[in-house]
Amino acid sequence: MHIPDGFLNNNLAGGMLTGSVCMLGYCFGKVLKAIPVSSQILATNCGNTTLKQDSLLLSKNSRQTFLNLAFIGSWIFAFQMFNVPIQSATSAHFIGGVFAAILVGPFFGFIIMSSVLTVQALFFSDGGLLALGANIFNMALVGCFLSYYVYKFIKKFNYVLATFIACLFSVMCASILCLTELSLSNNIIFSQVAKYMLNIHLGVSFLEAIITLVSVKVFNGDINE
Amino acid sequence: MNRKIILPVLVILFASIFASKYPDTLEALAINYGFANKTKETLSLFAGYSFPFIKNSFLSTLCAGLTGLLIIYLLFQTTKKITTYFIK
Repeated sequence: MHIPDGFLNNNLAGGMLTGSVCMLGYCFGKVLKAIPVSSQILATNCGNTTLKQDSLLLSKNSRQTFLNLAFIGSWIFAFQMFNVPIQSATSAHFIGGVFAAILVGPFFGFIIMSSVLTVQALFFSDGGLLALGANIFNMALVGCFLSYYVYKFIKKFNYVLATFIACLFSVMCASILCLTELSLSNNIIFSQVAKYMLNIHLGVSFLEAIITLVSVKVFNGDINE
Repeated sequence: MNRKIILPVLVILFASIFASKYPDTLEALAINYGFANKTKETLSLFAGYSFPFIKNSFLSTLCAGLTGLLIIYLLFQTTKKITTYFIK
């Protein structure tokens, strides 16, 4: 699903990169507000209570939050390495947007997904650097941010159904958007390939839903080893 | 806590043995519709999930994956440091 460099029109790729960076900034702003900060430390030495001026410290709770984010990011990275063979000599992998969104919400999820994608593009040449914006748009914004709201809406009725539909939405919309970007860059004709790609990704989305359900339970510790 | 560290390492271990070498859906589409040659290879250290100096494919994928985990961990630690510095 990672679009390499050269497939996309430069104008399109540059625009999407700008949009993704703006979105990342917005998410960071939201996250900084959400992180609790311990403002003062009371240090007692020999009965004299002195108020240290070290007000720049995260509370213990938010340190735990960052550790959790690193763990979720590493889980998603590991799962994305695992390519599963599907029909006619092609393979597909887990996206993990819904997994991040269920665990930490859309804003943290967007940051996790985009950081994983950036690491993949920079160090592993999985997805191009100029196409990074398009990849973030497909997998982090649609695959994580928007599908969280789908999940949240259906969660009122049923948790499992919500996960399934959110995964279906994230994978299908990511693939449709990927095809749209490719057809805007005059590589393919959308109507010719849409049926083939959606057919493949229907299976992938069920796989994704099952992995998401299991791995959320394992991450939260509902299943012991 | 242990579970959260061990599982990605296990997944990468399994991925380096069992992950399929077939092209993924987008690459297959590119090959079928004849625009695969438009790909521009970007120069990066662990291109294609392989460690540069190790010849054995299993070991090189394993090392690259573990390095990736380490990079992500360090990235979030750095983010934490920066957040600590800039937060009011």
